[in-house]
Amino acid sequence: MRPASGGVELRNRHLRMVFFCAGLFFVSSALLLPLAAQQTFKKAVPTAADWAAVAKLPDFTGVWEIPLGGPAARVTNPAVGVPGRLFAPLSLTPEYEAKRKDLMAHADQDNQSANCLPPGMPGIMAQPYPMEFLLTPGQVTIIIEAYSETRHIYTDGRPLPDDPDPTFFGTSIGHWEGGTLVVKTVGFSTETEIEPHVPHSDKMQVLEKFRLLDPNTMSIETTVTDPEALTAPYVSSRILKRHRNWTIAEYICEQNNRNYVDRNGKAGINLTLPKDAPPEPK
Amino acid sequence: MRPIIKYAVLAAILFSGVIAGTAAAAPHHGFAVFDTSSQKNITGTVRDFQWTNPHTWVWLDVPNDKGGVDTYGFEGMSPNYLERRGWTRKTLKPGDKITVTYFPLKDGAHGGSFLIGKRPNGEELRMLITSPTEDH
Repeated sequence: MRPASGGVELRNRHLRMVFFCAGLFFVSSALLLPLAAQQTFKKAVPTAADWAAVAKLPDFTGVWEIPLGGPAARVTNPAVGVPGRLFAPLSLTPEYEAKRKDLMAHADQDNQSANCLPPGMPGIMAQPYPMEFLLTPGQVTIIIEAYSETRHIYTDGRPLPDDPDPTFFGTSIGHWEGGTLVVKTVGFSTETEIEPHVPHSDKMQVLEKFRLLDPNTMSIETTVTDPEALTAPYVSSRILKRHRNWTIAEYICEQNNRNYVDRNGKAGINLTLPKDAPPEPK
Repeated sequence: MRPIIKYAVLAAILFSGVIAGTAAAAPHHGFAVFDTSSQKNITGTVRDFQWTNPHTWVWLDVPNDKGGVDTYGFEGMSPNYLERRGWTRKTLKPGDKITVTYFPLKDGAHGGSFLIGKRPNGEELRMLITSPTEDH
């Protein structure tokens, strides 16, 4: 009977196995890590210097809105087009021109936005609702009131993904060129549109240049390219005004949406009295 | 997008005669269910005012010829738009008497798109005001 020494032997065997596994893990990690580093961008922890650098960026913070009801709602930037011209030319390939005409043929009926599907990019940046810009180390965040949407623009040096999932807002990276924020966005769902009733492919890319024209005026110049849908880049420009005292309000489209498009694509409206409406007067 | 945009386009049509200015905000969601070629007026008593997204709704009890009331539903601008232009959720209250100017529904149902409300004292409650107040 050597329970003690047997126990020691067993423990040693376990220890040897533990060390072996640890060694195996260490070696394999050492081999795999450089590969992983190439594939995965590692976000740096923000330092006090990073926050100080944010303070030196142009002041985009606060709530902005495209003024409604006049030519200022859409102004072609003199730097990129003819001053005062309201529409930049849209040049579609024959395939996408046919798709556009098909969409236009049904334009008299509401489309899926009647069912609260949000517009996504690039239409989301053309909403007559305000949007708020937040600047933090390595990131610009745009909070869009319409449909309570958010865009994340990474300015931390990460690369664009090679094969992004198609999404409504795409994947955005940006960098600063002097006072201009230059943003490239890829990876769009084909459920969004370049302009109302103008479709695009999943290869659409959007380049945006944000800059201040004066302390409370922002210019956003947008260039849309799409090798399948567009024969030339589509350039447009918008002017936004800052409203220092505004706050972004809630916008829950599903709260009381009484518009709809039925399964035959026909628009309708729901006139059912609200459940909590006061009773009919006697 | 939908509620504001269609009204923005409307506002442009009604007040300036051009829609070019609101091209950026052209409607995904048009006025498919409303007849925008005609405006109607109807007087009644506010039954309920829904201060909700994506549209406010004014429910108006209108006396009918059977001695009862028909309740009309009027789709209005979003609270987000209106609260920056002087409206609050208490601007209309149950019991308020108003005359509503509206685009009727194409199918003839009791309702439409709210344009202007007018109180007996002449006060006008407009939903199509393009410029926000700065101090909101």
